[in-house]
Amino acid sequence: MSLYSSAVKRPIFTALVFVGVAIIGLFSYTRLAVDLFPDIETNMLSVIIAYPGASASDIETNITRPLENSLNSCENLKEITSQSKDNMSIVSLEFNYGTNIDIATNDVRDKIDMVKSSLPDGISTPIIFKFSMDMIPVSIYSATATESVNGLYKILDEKVANPLNRVTGVGAVTVSGAPQRQVQVNVNPERLESYNLTVEQIAQVIAAENLNVPAGSFDIGTETYSLRVEGEFKASEQLLGIVVGSQQGRNIYLKDVATLNDTIETRVMESYTDGVKGALVVIQKQSGANTVSIAKDVKKIIPELQKTLPPDIKLTLLMDSSDFIQQSIDSLTETILLAAIFVMFVVMFFLGRWRATIIIILTIPISLIASFIYLMAVGSSLNIISLSSLTIAIGLVVDDAIVVLENITKHIERGSTPKEAAVYATNEVGVAVIASTLTIIAVFFPMTMATGLAGVMFGELGWTVTIMIVVSLICALSLTPMLSSQMLRLTNTQGRFFDRIHAPIKVFLNKLDATYAKMVNLCVRNRWKTLIACFGLFLLIMIPASQLIKVDFMPASDNSFITANVYLPTGTRMEVARATALKIDSLVREKCGDVFRTLSFSVGQADEDNTMAALQSNASNLISFRIRCVDPEYRDVSIYDVGDEMRNIMENMPEIYKYSVSPGGSGGMMGQGASTVDVEIYGFDLATTDRIAAEMKQRLGEVKGLRDLFISRQDYRQEYQIDFDREKLAENGLNSATAANFVRNRINGSYISTYREEGDEYDIVVRYDEVYRQSLQAIEDITVYNAAGAAIRVKELGKIVERQTLPQIDRQNRERIVKVSGSLYKAALSDVVDGVNNVIDEMRAEGKIPTEIGIQIGGSLEDQQDTNADLGLLMLLCVLLVYIVMAAQFESLTYPFIIILSLTFGVAGVMLALMITGQPVSLMSMVGMVMLIGIVVKNGIVFIDYANLNRERGMSIDHAVIAAGRSRLRPILMTTATTVLGMIPMAIPRGTGSEMWQPMGVAVVGGLTLSTLLTLLYVPALYSIFGANGVKRTRKKLKKAKLKA
Amino acid sequence: MKTVFIPYNQAYKDRILTLFDNLNIRGFTLWETVQGRGSRRGEPHYGDHAWPTLNSAFLTVVPDEKVDNLLARLHEMDAATEAQGLHAFVWNCEKMV
Repeated sequence: MSLYSSAVKRPIFTALVFVGVAIIGLFSYTRLAVDLFPDIETNMLSVIIAYPGASASDIETNITRPLENSLNSCENLKEITSQSKDNMSIVSLEFNYGTNIDIATNDVRDKIDMVKSSLPDGISTPIIFKFSMDMIPVSIYSATATESVNGLYKILDEKVANPLNRVTGVGAVTVSGAPQRQVQVNVNPERLESYNLTVEQIAQVIAAENLNVPAGSFDIGTETYSLRVEGEFKASEQLLGIVVGSQQGRNIYLKDVATLNDTIETRVMESYTDGVKGALVVIQKQSGANTVSIAKDVKKIIPELQKTLPPDIKLTLLMDSSDFIQQSIDSLTETILLAAIFVMFVVMFFLGRWRATIIIILTIPISLIASFIYLMAVGSSLNIISLSSLTIAIGLVVDDAIVVLENITKHIERGSTPKEAAVYATNEVGVAVIASTLTIIAVFFPMTMATGLAGVMFGELGWTVTIMIVVSLICALSLTPMLSSQMLRLTNTQGRFFDRIHAPIKVFLNKLDATYAKMVNLCVRNRWKTLIACFGLFLLIMIPASQLIKVDFMPASDNSFITANVYLPTGTRMEVARATALKIDSLVREKCGDVFRTLSFSVGQADEDNTMAALQSNASNLISFRIRCVDPEYRDVSIYDVGDEMRNIMENMPEIYKYSVSPGGSGGMMGQGASTVDVEIYGFDLATTDRIAAEMKQRLGEVKGLRDLFISRQDYRQEYQIDFDREKLAENGLNSATAANFVRNRINGSYISTYREEGDEYDIVVRYDEVYRQSLQAIEDITVYNAAGAAIRVKELGKIVERQTLPQIDRQNRERIVKVSGSLYKAALSDVVDGVNNVIDEMRAEGKIPTEIGIQIGGSLEDQQDTNADLGLLMLLCVLLVYIVMAAQFESLTYPFIIILSLTFGVAGVMLALMITGQPVSLMSMVGMVMLIGIVVKNGIVFIDYANLNRERGMSIDHAVIAAGRSRLRPILMTTATTVLGMIPMAIPRGTGSEMWQPMGVAVVGGLTLSTLLTLLYVPALYSIFGANGVKRTRKKLKKAKLKA
Repeated sequence: MKTVFIPYNQAYKDRILTLFDNLNIRGFTLWETVQGRGSRRGEPHYGDHAWPTLNSAFLTVVPDEKVDNLLARLHEMDAATEAQGLHAFVWNCEKMV
């Protein structure tokens, strides 16, 4: 027994099956996480090796290069970049999308083991660092304080970070920008010398005193006691009382040679929020946790935590990644609802029966809900991709039900009872419905096989739409006939009120049918003219389009977030940077303060032992701004305008060396922030590449649409170096290492012991008092002791010279690289790339680029080229599959060809729509085009199928075409209208994040509208041409056969 | 005894069965799918792409007195929905075991 007849015979069973699906689906819906994108597995690994004391170029030769050479042979490796900076080498590996990163990690570990023996001895254990999207903070709070600044770290750590850590899903909570407590022992070198003591001795004595030692256990009588020596300091003042040495029989106490300062660290990153100093509380999620719910929970708990804090500490939300997600998801949900309502009106308009409309519309919620089950089953989330797939599918899922219901209605009108009509009418169109659904699947299913970035983005889209379409097909073959058998009535009236409203529509539709039949008649009579007119129109659109339309990668969206980095001249003191930052802060606030929700910045250098900080750039001369604006609907300027304003302000501040403003945050991937263009200059000689980069930057400044030009290479740093004379060292029984260590312990300090209090540990640092660390003279006067105990001044061992060094050397694909990068503004990527290429060619022509220097364009362009290649392949695959499905259905090779031609008009329609809306061709509009392949051919299939049927029924070719036109106009217009109107809410820019999928909506609406209009004209013409040729051929054959006979 | 052969559009099946029950006609033979076309105006019923509808056919042997009533009721059914297609042919049944 077939699906539909059993469904009709067992209405309760059928209804309950779908109710069951709905319940499971709704249950899944409540369990679905909400996120911005589908889970994208990381494809980046970094290997971090520390080599204390080595300069950037030492690191490059000794660590980075051997490491790169070994790691380069990893499988699936896409790109290898490295940074060699003072004390540290960071090699970053980018793998192809879809690579199993765990296997890659093992591979990398093996490769490191192989090369480890040839690396220097003093290196730290290599750290393999996996960067994933999960590490992007969920939210950042700032804590401002006035009186409590000194204890801020401890208070935040205990009262904020610890409770937040207990929130489900929260991975790590870090407090930064709050200085930690430190016990400083500041020694006076003059006294030290007079007592014949050294910093090292003092440090060792402190370490030796500050110790708890278990001394074992012993028995007294019947009991066993353990014996301990508790030497640890109970209070920091006790330090002053320890004996550090003796002279002439008298004890020398620490207080005789040093002062004690129980205070907070001096060199730290400071952060200011809305002009008030404070710390940052950064909240990261566990991998796979729900960003939106974490942010919600955190928001809920923060006011409670606020109550436990001292009154002067204020917690303010700085960044909340869930905001943008929630808003995008909300506006997409609205889009889905709007689409559903539009579709409902279309069905009502054409059918004029409310019962029929209800039956058809029911397929929408059922297929929507079924897709939630899929999302739940694969562990995905409600995200931009899955929700926009739902919007796309809404217009498509009703098509099958419409065809089935239309045929059932026809049978009822001819006299069948609804029950019989439901079975037999569904039987009649079942195969045709399956075939037309297959063409749609032929387009969306290959998307699941796409690779690269496109695969990540569209895999889920492909699956979701495929599943929804399949569910809608099942629905159309079971639920629709069942409901029709129960609900449809053999009457022509729908209630007096409804009839009155629908009467004019009916008249209009009948007139439309008649007019179109006349037009088809005309087309068939003037076949070639019609064809020429259609393709003429195609050329008329495509020729200006190829000139006017730009190519872009990802549309930039407004996520209310701006970051900016401001560099002062290298070596500027943090205090100066702070003053400048406050000045910028007030100037910016004056100009556009009303759109800011919070404005925060951080200055200064982060801790050396902070891995996260090692990956970010921080220096005493760098100011990083983080600005959160109010939601787009509450302001009339975009973040790009605000960015411009900030640029203007900084342009006029002479103290700023360079700056970059990134509205939307940095990046350009995934539709957040602007696209970037990088000019990569490869070459070993630093001076040459510096020169080229500088010139390139200047020339690129003149390219229209490109700004925020930035040279990636850091500036040479002014520094002092002590050049020890090796002979003198040797004469005094010293070597460079011991001498250097002496200097280091006096300036940087010796961190040999920790002070414990209430379970927390604080560093005890022993070094020269600050007044003895402030001049070159003081450094020259540092005394170094040799093994014999003789004191020698640094100035006797060598001299201090001023030099410039490069603090960091960047490499990419095993070559030194300088990148000149700029971000795009109100210009299409294609234009800017042309401009950049011109500049490169000019410089080549002028002989300014030596042959050994390689130049390449990277940035968004690279991503775009990769993705375009993937999409191109995908399109080809889709067209082939669709052709195969159609050829199989029609058992013919010519008819599918006629239909495939409608794709050209689809492309023309996309171009026309993009021209009208003034948008560039972007990744999203390309996806729209891929989708069109499946949608556009549907109209042709419906038309030709019916024309064939008419011919089989014995009509002449022309009559068959005209009759098909008259009968199929409504179904074609109806299915097209549902798809187009379903997409219109997407094509209209509304709300946060809509910039991203708008091009896709515009592409589908434009392409489908134009191709449908032209399909209705050129298909009859072309069909009759092919048909006439076929008839001629048969006649010729008959003639030949007759002649032979 | 008369033999009545009723080829009809599939959609009539349930209604004809009810009619048989009403008229107390117990025995019949049913061909679920048969193809054919009407002699005057009726559309073909081939179950193919061009003519997707199909016919079924009943063959029943009834006492002479029931025939007229049966035919009248069938004609009534056909007249109400002419587009569907229904015919009935009657001939003598010679013998039966």
